[in-house]
Amino acid sequence: MRGSRRTRLTLVLLLLTAFTLTALDYNSAQSGPLASLRRGIDTVFGPVQRAVGSASSSVGSALGGLPRLGSYQSDNKKLKLENDTLKGQLAAQAGLQCRYDQAVALQNFTNFTKYPTVPAHVIGVGASADFEWTATLDVGTLDGVKKAMTVVTGYGLVGRTITVSRDTTVVLLINDPNSTVGGWLVGPDLIGFAMGKGSAPLNLSFSGRDVVKKGTVVLTLGSTYAAGIPVGTVTSTTYDPNGTIRTAQVAPFVDVTHLGLVGVIVQPRRTTPRAPFLPIAPGASPTSTPCPAGVPNGPVPTSRPTATPRTSVTPSSSPSPTRTP
Amino acid sequence: MTPSRLLLGVIAVITALMLQLAAIGRLPLPGAAPDLLLVLVLAFALAEGPMSGAVTGFLAGLLADCFASHELGRLSLAYALAGYVAGNLHDDTDRSTLQPFGAVATGALVALGAFSFEGLLLGDHRITWHTVARVAVSSVPYDVVLTPFVVPLVAGLVRRLDVDPLRRL
Repeated sequence: MRGSRRTRLTLVLLLLTAFTLTALDYNSAQSGPLASLRRGIDTVFGPVQRAVGSASSSVGSALGGLPRLGSYQSDNKKLKLENDTLKGQLAAQAGLQCRYDQAVALQNFTNFTKYPTVPAHVIGVGASADFEWTATLDVGTLDGVKKAMTVVTGYGLVGRTITVSRDTTVVLLINDPNSTVGGWLVGPDLIGFAMGKGSAPLNLSFSGRDVVKKGTVVLTLGSTYAAGIPVGTVTSTTYDPNGTIRTAQVAPFVDVTHLGLVGVIVQPRRTTPRAPFLPIAPGASPTSTPCPAGVPNGPVPTSRPTATPRTSVTPSSSPSPTRTP
Repeated sequence: MTPSRLLLGVIAVITALMLQLAAIGRLPLPGAAPDLLLVLVLAFALAEGPMSGAVTGFLAGLLADCFASHELGRLSLAYALAGYVAGNLHDDTDRSTLQPFGAVATGALVALGAFSFEGLLLGDHRITWHTVARVAVSSVPYDVVLTPFVVPLVAGLVRRLDVDPLRRL
């Protein structure tokens, strides 16, 4: 091969020069001699470029046929894409509306109960949906969530946290057969324990011979769960004339199979001792102090008028109608 | 190297670059546009050998670098390497009809590889597998399609100017 050695040497020199230029230009971004060289060449060739450009564009518009066929196709594709995008936006908007309603309900609930609540999305449900009723949330220790915290929606009790990792939390739902909720029947002022029965209503067992009417509201007692959270309404009661324990079927306010936005009540355990009641001077009237509405703290004495503020939760006893499956 | 050959190179490179920037780069073709300037460099390499290919590639690439937004010298390195490789391919094999096509395809792939590799070295985030693959499946075949128009034209012009047809660099 003639001149092969010389050619190779030239090639190496050219490559080295090119690489040196690159390195120099890399370091001097917009200034220096190389940038002015580039600007100079742009200035020299600018008019030529413009002339060629206008000529070629006029030729192109004269020829025009083949590219336009392509543009129809691309228009079609673009419109299809746009259509899909709009459909997606519409669906997203419906989802947002649903989440918005849930968020408003949760906010109202938080305002009412004064519990600090961390919002969370349900990102998964229990692996074996008929045996184990759990849900996974997208919050964790990072958000201040700990084990055995109460989980609610804007409509009532959902469950309690059982496993908390940094970013996720598993919630034991109230209808899990392992779940027991201490409940307080608001009208007759009875205490019972509501056990989960899977997809069936909760089974609330209580002692006493009082008649429990259908529609009686059940609130949480406040031991395992935060106090005063609406659980559900009594749908039927079984009366055993001999027994002392009676059971009531309780339909939960929250449909745990359609959970979206929930809240984790991150109320810390109280550390200050409860203040005792002190005798009040005969002149002052004890009835004038208003009942602190919405600060439920365990069962309230019977003398209290029958839980009027809480009944404001009951109208929304059916789960949110806007929920999408 | 005669002055007329030098003039031919300069005019050809500038014309190809202007056409590339003003027209070819804007063609509504699917994928990336063909690279007329690179095909011209490879045509010179095929007509005159690796030396001509490397030098033409270097200078054409440098000029093209001035119009691009990347660092100077990147296209000149890629084109010089591609010209050298294509010129050597031509030397090593005997003549056939398909041979220039293969040389152009190889040269185009070499240029793409060198340019992308340099981009990777410099941390150019525009160089991704996606873009490289897109150019490899669109621009390289377009270059091959340009071959029957550019390579015989350059070969004819070079032969007409060359006083000694047997001389190869």
